[in-house]
This record gives sequence, C-alpha cells and structure tokens, in this order.
Amino acid sequence: MTDKQISRKEKQLGLTGFIFKPMYITMKQFIKAVVNRPQTILYPWEKMATPDAFRGRPGLIFDKCIGCGICMRICPTRCIDLVEVDDLKKAEGEEPKKVKRPRVNLGRCLMCGYCAEYCPTDAMIVTPDYELATFSREEAIYDPYMLQHDWKPGYEVHIKEVLPSEVNKVFEPRLRIEHKDIPVLDDEKCISCTRCAKDCPVDAVTMVEVGVNERGRPIRKPVFDAEKCISCDTCVEVCPKDALTMKEAL
Amino acid sequence: MYLDLWNLVGGLIHWLMVDVIGEILNWLHLYGLADWLGSSGVLHILTIIVVGLIILVVGMLVSITLIWQDRKMLGRFMDRVGTQVGPFGLFQNFADALKVLVKEYIIPDAADRLIYPLAPILIIGLSMAMFVTIPYSQGFYMSNSDLSVILTLAILAVVPFAVLMGGWASNNKYTLIGGMRAAAQTCAYEVPLLLSVASVVVLTGSMNFMDIVAFQYENTWLVIPLIIGFIVFLVSIIAEVERVPFDLPEAEAELVEGWQTEYGGMRFGLIMMSQYARSFVGASLIVLLFFGGWHGPFADYIPAGIWFVVKVFLVFILFVWAWAAFPRIRTDQILDLCWKRLLPLAAINLFIAVFFKTMGWF
Amino acid sequence: MAEMWINMGPQHPMTHGLWNMRIKVDGETITDAEPVIGYLHRGWEKMVENRLYPQIIPMADRLCYGSAFTWSHVYCMAVEKLMDIEVPERAQYIRAMSDELQRIGNHLMWLAAIGTDLGNLTMFLYATRDREMFLDLFTSLTGARMTYNYCRVGGVRNDSPPNWTRDLVRTLDYFEKRLKEYDMLVDQSKLFRMRMEGLGYMSAKDCINAGITGPVLRASGVKQDLRHNDPYEIYEELDWNICTHDDCDTWARYRVRMMEMQESVNIVRDILKKMPESGPIRVKPPRAAPVGTAMARMEDPRGESLMYLVGDGTDKPYRLSVRSPLYVIISASPQLLKGYRIADVPSILGMLDVCVGEMDR
Repeated sequence: MTDKQISRKEKQLGLTGFIFKPMYITMKQFIKAVVNRPQTILYPWEKMATPDAFRGRPGLIFDKCIGCGICMRICPTRCIDLVEVDDLKKAEGEEPKKVKRPRVNLGRCLMCGYCAEYCPTDAMIVTPDYELATFSREEAIYDPYMLQHDWKPGYEVHIKEVLPSEVNKVFEPRLRIEHKDIPVLDDEKCISCTRCAKDCPVDAVTMVEVGVNERGRPIRKPVFDAEKCISCDTCVEVCPKDALTMKEAL
Repeated sequence: MYLDLWNLVGGLIHWLMVDVIGEILNWLHLYGLADWLGSSGVLHILTIIVVGLIILVVGMLVSITLIWQDRKMLGRFMDRVGTQVGPFGLFQNFADALKVLVKEYIIPDAADRLIYPLAPILIIGLSMAMFVTIPYSQGFYMSNSDLSVILTLAILAVVPFAVLMGGWASNNKYTLIGGMRAAAQTCAYEVPLLLSVASVVVLTGSMNFMDIVAFQYENTWLVIPLIIGFIVFLVSIIAEVERVPFDLPEAEAELVEGWQTEYGGMRFGLIMMSQYARSFVGASLIVLLFFGGWHGPFADYIPAGIWFVVKVFLVFILFVWAWAAFPRIRTDQILDLCWKRLLPLAAINLFIAVFFKTMGWF
Repeated sequence: MAEMWINMGPQHPMTHGLWNMRIKVDGETITDAEPVIGYLHRGWEKMVENRLYPQIIPMADRLCYGSAFTWSHVYCMAVEKLMDIEVPERAQYIRAMSDELQRIGNHLMWLAAIGTDLGNLTMFLYATRDREMFLDLFTSLTGARMTYNYCRVGGVRNDSPPNWTRDLVRTLDYFEKRLKEYDMLVDQSKLFRMRMEGLGYMSAKDCINAGITGPVLRASGVKQDLRHNDPYEIYEELDWNICTHDDCDTWARYRVRMMEMQESVNIVRDILKKMPESGPIRVKPPRAAPVGTAMARMEDPRGESLMYLVGDGTDKPYRLSVRSPLYVIISASPQLLKGYRIADVPSILGMLDVCVGEMDR
C-alpha cells in the first residue's frame, strides 16, 4: 500500500471530521441496535450454534475402545490415564471382564482433540460439550463411564494424510491406519519373555517357536500381524530389553 | 398545569398539626403543646423539612434513572444490551446499591483517618445541596432565591476541593495525581462556564431561574440566540461533572480509577451517585438556561415538572452520546481546549449577548 | 511534586496481561521508565523439552492468546525444516490464509484494546464484535475459538469445511464495510488523532538498532516484511504490498496496522482465487527428528517471530528457543516513553500490542 500511502499532511481532517463523523457512526449504530436487536447473545439463555468441527470435551465410545493407550501417550498435558473397569458387555450370569479404558482429567484437558485424532478405532470422539464447570477438582476427573457420549456422525476425527515420499505426486490421501508403522524385532536382544504378546491390545503378536536353546528350552520370537497391528507402541514400551523398534512408513 | 409544592405541603402539615394532632392534644387537655405545634414557626420548619425531603427523593430518583439511561443507552450505542436486572434493567441500580452496601469498609493504612472518610460525604452532600436550587416547575422547588444561578455554580465550584481532599487523603500516587488533575480541570472550566452563564444573565437581566425561564417563555429559547454559549456551556459542564471525554481525574487506563482508587464499598457508591447527581444538575442547568425550562407543548395535560424531567433526559442523551463517540483527551489538551478555544468563544458569546441587549432585540 | 516512581502494573488497567511498567514521573512528565516482566513466566522453553514433537503444537498455540495460529505455524515450519518434509501445496495455501485471518483477528483485538486504553469503550465493543466473526470462521475451520491446534507438522489438521469459501467471502465483505466505520470513528475523529499524533517518536535508525520488527518498524518507514523479504509458504506467488508509513509515531503505527488489515483481506481474496481445489493437506511426519538444528521465522502480527530448534535424534526436541518480537519491542519502551506524559503511556504502549504470554514464555 506504499503507492497510495496516507500521510498526515495528505489526509487532513475535513470540517465534518472534527467530532461529527464519530458521532454519526455511533448514532447510526444506536438506531440500528434499537430498531433491530443488539448483537449480544444472552449466554445462559441463548447459545451460539456450534459448527460441526467444534472441539469440546473428549468422549468415549466404550465398546469400540481396545485400551491401547495411544491417547494416553499423545496427550500433551498427560491428563489421560488407563484404568481397569468392568466391561459393559457381559454374558449371562458371568462376572464382567476387567478391561482398560481411558480416564480423563478435564481440569487439565486442553481440548486439543489429539486423543480422537490418533485413536485407531475411533473410540475417542470429540463432543460438542463445553459447559464443564464443577464445584471441585475431583468432579472434573471423568472416569470411563462418565466419559461416554452419544455418538453422532462427525464426532470421530478421521485424519487423511500422505506419506512424505508421496508429496506433490498425485495421490489420494489415506487414513493413517492404512499406512501404519509396524514394530520390528532385533533378534539379538530378544529374550523370549512374551510380554509383547501378552500386552498387545489387538492380539497382533503371536509367539512362534524358532528353535531350541542349549538347555533344550524353546526359543520363541514374536511375529507381528500387519493386518491387525494398530501401531500403538505398547509392545515397544513394555519390552524389557528394548528389542523392539517401530519401523515407520515414510 | 403544575403542582404547587409549598402550598400543598404547607396545607398538609397544617391539617396534620392543627386538625389532627392538635385536636387529639386538645382532647387530652394539653393546650400549650397544641398551641406550640400549631404556631406558624413550627409549621414552617416542618414544611421546610418535608419539602426538602421530597426534593431530595425526587432528585435521587431522577439521578438513579439517569444511571439507568446512561447504561442502557451506552449499551445500544455499543451494540450490546446493557443492564439486565428487572424489567428493562430498571432494578440494576438497586442491586448495585445493595451490593456496595454490604461490602466491607476499608480504610488504607497510610490514609488520613479524618479526611479520608469525610471526602465522600462532602462530595455527596455538595452534590445534593445543588438539588435545592433547581426548580422543577413554577411550584415545585425548594428555594426561589434571587441568586439561585450563582448559588448553584458556587456549590458546583466547591466540589473539586472535596475531590482533591479525597485524592490527597488516600495517600496514593494515583489518587494524588487524579486529585490534582480534577482540581486543575474543574478550576479551569469554571471560567468559560461562568462566562456563558453571564451571557444568559445579561440577556434575561436576572439570576433567578424562575425569571430566566419566564423570559424564555415570553421570547424564545435562549439556545437560538446563544448557540455558541450553549456549546461552550455543554462542553464545560461535561468537564465539570468529569464524564468522557473529560474524565481525566478518573482516567482508567493510566491512573487505575484516578482519585477514587482507594475508595471501596458504599463510599465508592456515594461517589458514583454524586457523579450522576452532578450530571443531573448539569443537564437541568442546560434545560433551565437554554431550553426553556419546564415549558412545553400540551401544557394543559402534561404537568410542567414532567416536561422538565423529560427535557433533562433528552439533554442527558448528549452526555451519553459524547461518552460513546469520543476517547478521553489529555490533561494539557483539556487545558488547551479550555483556554484557547472555549474562553474566546465564551467571550464572543458574551459580546453577542451584550449586542442583542443593547440593540433592544430582547 | 518531586520525582516519583509509579508502578503501572502488575495489576493495572493499562497492562494487557501481567507485567509491570515502572515509570518515573516529574509531575506529569515521564523522565525514566523500566519494564519489569517475569510475572507470567511458565518455563515454556524447558517445558517443551520433554514433550513429543506433535504435543508441542498446542503448547505453541498458548504462547499468545491473540495470534495462536502464527505461533504453532512457526513451530511447525521449524520442525519441517529439521525433518526435511515438504508440505502439500493446498496445505500451504490454507496455512497462509489462516495466517492472514489470524492477523486480522489479532489486529482487531489490538484495536479493541487501544479503544479502552484511550477511554472509548465503543471502539472496544465494535472491534470485539467483528473479531467474533473471525473467531466463528476459525471455529468452523479448526474447531476452537482461540487455541486452534490446527497447524500440523507437514500440513494442517483438516480440510476446510463445506461452504467455507462462501462464508469467508461474506465475512470479508462485511469486514471491509466495518473497516470504513473504524476509519470514521478513529481516523476522522479529532480527539483520537489528538491522543495519537506525535507520540512515541522512534526513527528508523533507532528501531533497527533496537531490533524492533513488525508494524512498529514499518511505521518508521522501513520496508521490512518477512512475507516479502524471506518468503515462506506461498507468499511469493501472491500479489500484495508492504504497508509502511513515514511518521514514526503512534499514529503511524495505528495506520500501518489498519492498512495491514485491509491488505490481509486482499491477500485472503487472492489466496481464495489461487488455491488448488483439492489435494492432500497433510503429510505424515516421522516420529523422531534427525540430529541437527533448524530455524524458522515468519511475520507474526506483532513482528518477526523465530523458533530455533535443536534435534538430538529422539522424538523430543533437545532445545527449542523462541524469539518473541514483543520482548525486543518492550525492552525499547523506555526510549519510546521518555519525555512524554503519563496520559500518553496507554496510547504509546497500546500501539505496541502487548501480549505477555509470548513475552514471558
């Protein structure tokens, strides 16, 4: 805008500019606000419509969740932790199973939506609830049952992305689950402890016998099912010998 | 059509004292007391007290309504709703009053124990003292002195003294600077204010509000010949009552709340009330001096006092409008405006008034 | 009155946030000034050192309440440089568009703030009312009103919603009308001009020596705008001008910001014309960054923001250093204030657009 720059000398105030223009503007607004109604939204009684993308508190679809802990790891304020609760689904006459589900401390939640964004099964959703005031800090901690929310299409967050090697070539973006990272095993370090197989939330790890050691006991190595894997890092974290690493799809 | 307050109250008091209480006392054989209560001196004093109370209550009610008008209209000027408590937000002021009443009285450690509590009392007292001189109609007034214009302006001129007292006694840097500014500003604006009033006095030849209004009724509203004087008076009175754009003493952005920073609770409530009381007095001065007082059309149906109050509200719109449209201006600019712009204008206006008078047009 | 120190802050209506401007006055004239910050220090730079790379984005949003998007944007640019990621073209356009909308929103917040600083509440409410339009736009685009968490390493979070172009064009049309109203309310008002003209004089030489950037520098007549001088994203392809002014005072700073709002509207219109219709908007970033350093800088609404990132091969940064434009400008504020009056302090400091969150970090 340098060419038509307005300098003080060029833009002197006219006769009307002294005080009348601001008075004119305010009176115009006054008449507008009296004839129509003012812009104010009287909040507790009236509420603004929330757009589809609105990010309120995180919600949980209990049955979809597999307790993988991705939301716990990605949460920037670490307000999510996994707790053991009774499963909602139970067969007749049986004790309900114990399952791991996320618990969210909404007093610390940033409403960033990462938990829903990274959730591999769309169990964490972003709900439009934003009236979350409580009387105590304990009440702000939502256990998995309280965290449940009615599902509507659009609450879950699907991220479509491309790999860095594919940028600016013609490619349809894909869901993250379609080009997932797979854990790989460092054979040297593995001690056949089977913890990865036990902790895998989707049973993608099977222990396969590959031989016998010098004492005659079977050597078992984990084999990863790329179809089932959700690249949740659980096996990498629990591995006592750091034998597992994630092979990233890039 | 107007209400003769003194006759009405006097008659009521007379009836109450002589015909009701006097009869009862006579029946009780207390003839001396009955005679004393029925004597003209006692009746007169009682009448003065009751009339004073009525004037005070009416003045406060109008001031409170001015606060409501201010808030509601400012809201509309700014595209928002304004007060919300009660129908049309009318009860907001009472809610506020309740709130400041139940607040704790805090006196700062370093403040002057004597003057700090005294200043708000003095301010509200002086502001209410001005109600005395303002007539609402031919009959509805407290005093009808020949010098009521001068009396009003004199009381108006004492207020900055109380403000400076409050600012100084709070013993705070903000309040001190605010008090100094208030004193400098209001003292300076006395001069054009008085000069523009002088032009009115020159034209009408009287310092009595009754005579000035009667003069306007016979001739024309003085705003027509003395339009310059009206503008000078309007600007000066806005500066006198310390409203935006001349609210430097309480400049919020640089001096927290100016000279009232240390005042809280009901003391703050009194100061706020006094500002609107002064605004009411300022607006009614404008109505009385320039807009024909209580005279208006349909005088047979609408009482004169109502016309007066309606005009006060209309004039107050100008105050609110100025608040909505302008920012606050700087100390030196305020004094510049006073001495370099308003004072010459007021002098010119006085010449015009003298010219009209000598030509015998009025 | 003798000379005395006045504390303007940490609890004072003049300070937009929690900081302290100590001012030495002789009567009403300022003879010395000393900014004191640190009341809002959150240890941001240390805090992010044990966060994963994507976790820092919402943290970067919280550097400044007014311009959240630009800060997460500059962070993402630094990480992309470190990880050597190319961003899809449509994502670059969306980022630039969000930058400009954020600039408008931030300048409106500044306009609102100077309204109250100068004692006119009307300006405050008009500006916040119109900022609400842009917040609504951002809500429908990103899902949040102020802390968007929208920029991602390698793109943006999601594509624009349906009817986005229609809503945006309508809002811009409305806003251009409102800009003319502001012109009449502020520019054409003698009283506003009296409060702004000739205050806080700072010549171009002084500005450059003090390291001042952004609208304050451009108001001194220096053609320095990173969008032009060191273009990032797709700013090279857009038609726009640098807004400068020669007066070096607060009025010039005001004018530059108002012109920038108009210019941002033009840029957004231009972006809408040139933006590719569809395409990928997000690249999957690697988890860990290589060993090395990267630096990204961009034109924040307040000046030149810079992030310097050191990666150590893990998925957390070794060090992330922030250069806040305002930190530099505020350190030059004694020079701006000296010789003026107490009543000028709000108007001089208000024109700097103070945001303590990014200043203290």
